[in-house]
Amino acid sequence: MAKRILICDDAIFMRTMIADILTGAGFEIAGEAESGLQAVERYKALQPDLVTMDIVMPDMGGIDAVKAIIAVDPDARILMCSAMGQQALVVEAVQAGAKDFVVKPFQPARVIEAVKRVLG
Amino acid sequence: MADARRARYVTLFAAESRSLLAMGHRSVTAWLAEPPESSHAEEIFRALHTVKGMAASLGFDALAEQVHAAETVLAEVRGGERAADRRWLEGLEGRLDALALEVEAVLAREAGGEAAHPVARTAPVVRVDTERLDALLADLGAMVTARQELDRQVAADPFSPVARSAQTLSHRLDALKERILHVRLAPLGEVLERIPPMVRDLGRQLGKQLAVEISGEELEVDRAILAQLPEPLMHLVRNAVDHGLETPAERKQAGKRPVGRLTVRARQERDAVVVELADDGRGIDRERIAARAREQGILEAGATLSDEHLLGILARPGFSTAQEVSAVSGRGVGLDTVVARLHEVGAAVSLTTVVGHGSSFQLRLPTRLGIVRALVTAIGEERYVMPLTHVTELVAWDPAQVRQEGGRAMFELRGETIPVLDLRRLLQYRGGSAPAHRPAIVFAAHGQRIALLADAIAGQIDAVIQPIDRVPGLPRWITGATVLGDGRPAMLLDVASVA
Repeated sequence: MAKRILICDDAIFMRTMIADILTGAGFEIAGEAESGLQAVERYKALQPDLVTMDIVMPDMGGIDAVKAIIAVDPDARILMCSAMGQQALVVEAVQAGAKDFVVKPFQPARVIEAVKRVLG
Repeated sequence: MADARRARYVTLFAAESRSLLAMGHRSVTAWLAEPPESSHAEEIFRALHTVKGMAASLGFDALAEQVHAAETVLAEVRGGERAADRRWLEGLEGRLDALALEVEAVLAREAGGEAAHPVARTAPVVRVDTERLDALLADLGAMVTARQELDRQVAADPFSPVARSAQTLSHRLDALKERILHVRLAPLGEVLERIPPMVRDLGRQLGKQLAVEISGEELEVDRAILAQLPEPLMHLVRNAVDHGLETPAERKQAGKRPVGRLTVRARQERDAVVVELADDGRGIDRERIAARAREQGILEAGATLSDEHLLGILARPGFSTAQEVSAVSGRGVGLDTVVARLHEVGAAVSLTTVVGHGSSFQLRLPTRLGIVRALVTAIGEERYVMPLTHVTELVAWDPAQVRQEGGRAMFELRGETIPVLDLRRLLQYRGGSAPAHRPAIVFAAHGQRIALLADAIAGQIDAVIQPIDRVPGLPRWITGATVLGDGRPAMLLDVASVA
């Protein structure tokens, strides 16, 4: 069965782009969230196999969302999506429990590779 | 990246960037009102950050760098290195405006690039959508036409069971028509939100202090109309800022506040949306225009100019009083193009101006496109339809009331002298001779009344207008075609451009 992925980003643009990359590689989109708060709610409701998480979002940023998701599911697989120049934040996210990260602008091959790596 | 996919991303980028930058600007405005408040910094940062990510993903690297530079400036305040004083905030505001303009420039280049490679070009999602919507509208048009024929037959036997079914079908069709036209609507904000950054940028270029206010962006009009709006509207905005609004020094001298005000208000008026663009600048010098018009022989000596007549003259192709070429609005005022473009989509334009107090343009946009209530007229066996919007009355034609004035036939109506045009001549009809009794259709356009002479009036219809190919030699007042209830074709006469 195709692995189900929850995409969290405040821009429809980014969510569309990530969804295109992932569906093209045979993954299923379980759902989307546009804020950290929504990401946590949708994670609980949808129980996806993997979450892609933007860092800068309104109503709870990505790092706090990682902490909240890991608190309910320590095995959650979260892949951070960061812009250039946010290395410090990425480190914080990984310490909070994120498994890996990709850097915007996305290169489809890198994204797919990272998703597969995180899914193990 | 596949072209169709890229086009879809560009469409999303356009919508999200515009709205994020507009939001960023609102934050700066709020921040300026309450300088110590710094929660706005986070909001602006998020907006910039998202725009940057999108720009970089589409390979708009220069734009991404420009956004990054703005983020860096913002970081000074977010990191507590400096306070957000007025000067810094105004600098930030300037950066946001410059970004909004750069986004438009990037989008224009993207669209231009597409056109330059016709082979590789794939229509963006929105365009495909619009095409489908147009097809839907064309189908609807065919049904409305068929309904008219059905209605006629039902009228002959109104109590039959068939008549009852026909009536039900008719109601359903009306509902369907509303629904289809509704799907085509888009908010004015898509265009109006582009005005403030442009105005502020022009103000900086021209050394003018300007306040711009927008309202009614939530009102909706047909996409096809919205698509035609930016060019004429931006032209009017540039004119207002460049020619209408004065420099702070000039304003002080005239006893005005140094900050010039430009307001763009949209309001719903029955089946139209009226966009009013007003400035509190110097107004249009009626005397100068009148003098120039007399020189060019388009205004009689001694005649004065009403607002409507003034617009009619300003909108004449080639009429210009501009004394110099300006970098911002080019040579002349170019109102002819503006008015022509707006007429093409069925919009009416009017002007009010008071010297020393400013000018106001009102653009009356139809909200629904494609179906117009029209008068059917006959010239010999030919049929023409004209939108009822401008028609004021129908009168019986009495040749005895006509007199010749300066080579034009004038018609006396309740003490008013109105020029009269024979449609037979206008349309170069070569068939049989005209009937003895003919109706005159009186309509108003550009503040002038004019009477058109037809052979007969053949009723009113909801005309579904189809665009026609503009072949050379086709008179400019024929702007579309429709099919009548009996299946006969009829040309659409744009009465406003006959005047």
